[in-house]
Amino acid sequence: MNRDEIGELAAAYALGGLEGEELARFEALLEAGDADALRALRECGDTLVGLAAAAPEPPPAGVKAALLERIAAAPATRPSAPTRPLPRRRPRALWPVVLSGAMAAGLAAVVVGWSVSSTYEKRLDALARDAEQLRAELRAQQAVIAILRDPATQVVALAGLPPAPAARARMMWHAQAGGVFVATGLPAPPEGKAYQLWAIAGTNAPVSAGVFTVDASGTGSLAVRPLPGVSAVNAFAVTLEPVGGLPAPSGDMYLLGKS
Amino acid sequence: MSPLAPGSESSAALIAAIAAGDRDAFGRFYDLTAPMAFGLIRRVLRDPEAAAEVLQEVFWQVWQDAARYDPTRGSPEAWLVTRAKTRAIDRLRSVRRRDRTFVGPVDESVARRREEPAENPAVVADDRSLVQSALAQLPEPQRRVIELAFFEGLTQSEIATRLGEPLGTVKTRARLGLERLRGVLGAERLSAT
Repeated sequence: MNRDEIGELAAAYALGGLEGEELARFEALLEAGDADALRALRECGDTLVGLAAAAPEPPPAGVKAALLERIAAAPATRPSAPTRPLPRRRPRALWPVVLSGAMAAGLAAVVVGWSVSSTYEKRLDALARDAEQLRAELRAQQAVIAILRDPATQVVALAGLPPAPAARARMMWHAQAGGVFVATGLPAPPEGKAYQLWAIAGTNAPVSAGVFTVDASGTGSLAVRPLPGVSAVNAFAVTLEPVGGLPAPSGDMYLLGKS
Repeated sequence: MSPLAPGSESSAALIAAIAAGDRDAFGRFYDLTAPMAFGLIRRVLRDPEAAAEVLQEVFWQVWQDAARYDPTRGSPEAWLVTRAKTRAIDRLRSVRRRDRTFVGPVDESVARRREEPAENPAVVADDRSLVQSALAQLPEPQRRVIELAFFEGLTQSEIATRLGEPLGTVKTRARLGLERLRGVLGAERLSAT
């Protein structure tokens, strides 16, 4: 992982917007004591402190007193408090015991109610996120299915060329709807490189259909949008290019398939 | 140097004392950092009563969780800022949801006026000239990403959707924006002393 990538993870983490796999990845780095990740996080944290400290506002009177009262009232419930000797019990009249029992029950009801409602708030939040994610996945899947069901969709098989003879790929291509591309058996691209897919129509210059990378098993995929001005594609090809892709192919060709 | 210099020895020492159950240390830490925390909470929550409640919850957590503070991850102030921001955003979300779920007809405009930061917080901020000037020195796209993340609590993919930009662009802007902000705030701190 390079510095910029760590910087991006740290910035998102400090801002509170990191999620899913990236969140797990960055937390693993922090847990492992990764010096770059910890330094990047400290820098982001200090910046946000600077931002907050630039606009202080006097806290309302009473909050501090309320806190100190709360602390004084419940010293024993502090999980991090060092263990202190228990106060010696003195014989007490029954009445205060009953009263304090009733108060404790009331307090417990309030606390339980509050914690249940806050648990539900969190749960609702998580459910709303899950639903949004599922909807997005569903939309993507529906787009794929629509392409597969359309008789106008072409299926083009791409075969591996000398840099990766074992590589194979399929392109499901629909001129109006776009396409789905799946490749297997490709080597992991070197640092700073990625695979770029090209559509070749007639004798025109190849048109970029997007950039993709592959996972550890050599599999990669790409959702391709309709290419403006490209109707009848004769061939698809994959070359190795700098990350982000180029307007025209420059690197070695890894896959080629004619329709 | 201001007493809020991040990572200053005193705030770290105070947190350690709080973890050991020292109430005076808690009071001093509150005096030192509550204005910063409250300014931030107020930036997220317009309602002063809700902001005061959140402030109390945040410092209650400080008292309870001080032993879990990890200095390798940042200063006590950064630890506090994260908590204040998270709590304020949680509150903002729950108020919006309650307005939507339980109050019947949705009056978004009322909910917005009451709880949401204005569309462009840096413009409406009244006496928050330093935040304004620090953020104002960022290019607009970087500033939007930081505001949406930090003051409205959106995740990066939510920001990407809201702005109609690729996720990678949002990530880069967040990083560059914070780097730039760091330079700006560093320069201001120097010129203020």
